[in-house]
Amino acid sequence: MQNKDKNIILQNLKESTAEWTSGQGPLSDIVISSRIRLARNIEGVPFSPRAEQAELENIFELSRQVVEEGSLFKDSNLLLLDELTPLESQFLVEKHLISIYHAREKRLYRGCIFNQKETLSIMINEEDHFRIQYLLSGLQLNNVWKLINEIDNEIEKKATYAFSEKEGYLTSCPTNVGTGMRASIMLHLPALAMVNGINDILKAISKIGYVVRGFYGEGTEVMGNLFQVSNQITLGFSEEEIIDNLEKVNQQIISKEQKVRKELLSNSKSQLEDQAWRAYGILSSVRIISSAEAMELLSKLRFGVGLGIIPHPSLGTINKLMLLIQPAYLQMLAGKDLDSFNRDLQRAVLIRNEISI
Amino acid sequence: MLCQICKKKEATITFTKIVGGQKTEIHLCKDCASTFSDKFSIFPLPQFDINDLLADLLNAIDLYHKEEGVLPGKKVECSNCHLTYDEFKRCGKLGCSVCYHDFREQLTPLLRRLHGNSEHVGKIPRQSKGKLNKIRKIKQLRRELQELVLKEEYEKAAKTRDEILKLEGVLKKKNAK
Repeated sequence: MQNKDKNIILQNLKESTAEWTSGQGPLSDIVISSRIRLARNIEGVPFSPRAEQAELENIFELSRQVVEEGSLFKDSNLLLLDELTPLESQFLVEKHLISIYHAREKRLYRGCIFNQKETLSIMINEEDHFRIQYLLSGLQLNNVWKLINEIDNEIEKKATYAFSEKEGYLTSCPTNVGTGMRASIMLHLPALAMVNGINDILKAISKIGYVVRGFYGEGTEVMGNLFQVSNQITLGFSEEEIIDNLEKVNQQIISKEQKVRKELLSNSKSQLEDQAWRAYGILSSVRIISSAEAMELLSKLRFGVGLGIIPHPSLGTINKLMLLIQPAYLQMLAGKDLDSFNRDLQRAVLIRNEISI
Repeated sequence: MLCQICKKKEATITFTKIVGGQKTEIHLCKDCASTFSDKFSIFPLPQFDINDLLADLLNAIDLYHKEEGVLPGKKVECSNCHLTYDEFKRCGKLGCSVCYHDFREQLTPLLRRLHGNSEHVGKIPRQSKGKLNKIRKIKQLRRELQELVLKEEYEKAAKTRDEILKLEGVLKKKNAK
C-alpha cells in the first residue's frame, strides 16, 4: 500500500493520467480500452446489500489486509468512500475507478482500491463484496484477463470466495453468476455514427447476447460516439470463451467502422478534413464550452487524428481530455465547487492548454 | 390487471418494448410507471438489458411452475439470510450464497433463460474443494437443528449448534487467513 492519507491519495490521482487512456494499444484509433471485471463474494457473509454493518466492516478490513500484505498491491491505495465528499466520489466515477451506483449508495464501508497506473481498481462492498476491474488501452482482452486473473488469485490467498460447483462464483445478481465476469471493449465509432450505421449493429449484437452501453457503463448516456460492448452471458462458458467471442464480435464492428472510414476518405475527404479542422479550430480558441459540446468536438478531432488528416494532438491527449473535462474532474482540478457557467469557462481554458502547440 | 412491479395497484399504463422484432409488454400502475420511465430515459439506446427483463422472466417462470404444479403455494425462504423468494422476485437480487442453494429449484430455469446454461464451466477457486464439503455439512446441520428445535429436543439441538459454530469457526479462520 502506498499512502494512507485520503487527501494525498486524491491529490496524486488528480495529477496522474490513467494508462488506459494512453492511446497506445492495438487498434487504438478505434478501440479506446479493453476492460474485464470480476464479481466476487466472501463465503458465509451475506452479499453487501443485505449484510450487517459489522459484516461490511469485516469485508472492508479484509480488503485492507489484501492491499497491505499482497505482493501485487505495493503501488495500490485504498479509499473508504464514507470519508469522501459527493464531489470526490463523483471524481472517482469520472476516472472510471468506481461505478455510479457505488458512488451514490449510502451503505457504510464502501471502498475502492486502485493502483498507480489506474489499470486496476477494486470496488469493496458494491453490490458484491469485491468487484475487481482491470483496464488496458487498445484491443488486448487476453492480456487483461492474464493480469486480472493474477489479482484474483492473489486475493484468494487471503479470502475464501463464495462458490458452488454448479453455479460457479455466486453473485448478488443472478445475471453475473458463474464466471462473475463482464468483459467490455470501449469503441470510438464516428464513421458508423456518421452514416447512421450504429443502430443496425446494436440490434444485431443484442440478439446474440451482447450489450452496448455508454462511456460510463450501465445506464449512462452515449457521448462522443463512444460505445462499450460487453458480454451478457456469464454462466456456461469459460472465461477464455467469453473473451474470444467478445473479441470476434468486436472485430466485426471494428472492420465495419474501418470499411466506412475508408469509403468516407475516398468519397468525402474534403468534408472530413473540414470537420476535423473546424473541431480543432473551435477547441483551440474556445472560451466557454459545455461538456456535451466538448465531447462532440473531441470525437470529431479524434476521428481526424485517427484518419491521419490532422497531425496534432495525439490520441492519448484526446482520450485524456475526454476524462478531464467532466464536471467533477474540473472541480477537483480547480480545488473548489464551480457552478455550470464557471465549469464551462474552466473547461475551455483546460482544453486550450492541452491542445495548443 | 394488477401492476407487475408493486402487485398492489391496478395497472393503467402499458409499456411496449420491441427488441429485435420481439414484443414485450409490461403493465404498470401510475406510480411504478413513472419510476420505470425515469429509469428508461437514461437508456438512450434501443438496447437489450437483462436486468430489465429479469422481473418479467421471473413471473413467467413462476406461472409455468404453478401450471406444472411444481410450487404448491409454499413459502420459500433462504435458511441463512431469510430472504423470501417473493422478495427476490421484487428486487432481482439474492441475499447470500446460500440463496442459490435454497432457491435452486426456482433459479435453475431462470439461469437457463438468462444464460442459456445453468452449469458453471469456468475458473474454480483453488481453495474451494475441501471447503465446499464443510459448507454443505453446515447447511445440513442447520436443517437438523431446526427440526430438533421443533421436536423440542434441546439437548441434541445444543450439540448440533456447537458443531455448526465449530465448523463456521474453521471457515471464518480460513476467510481471515
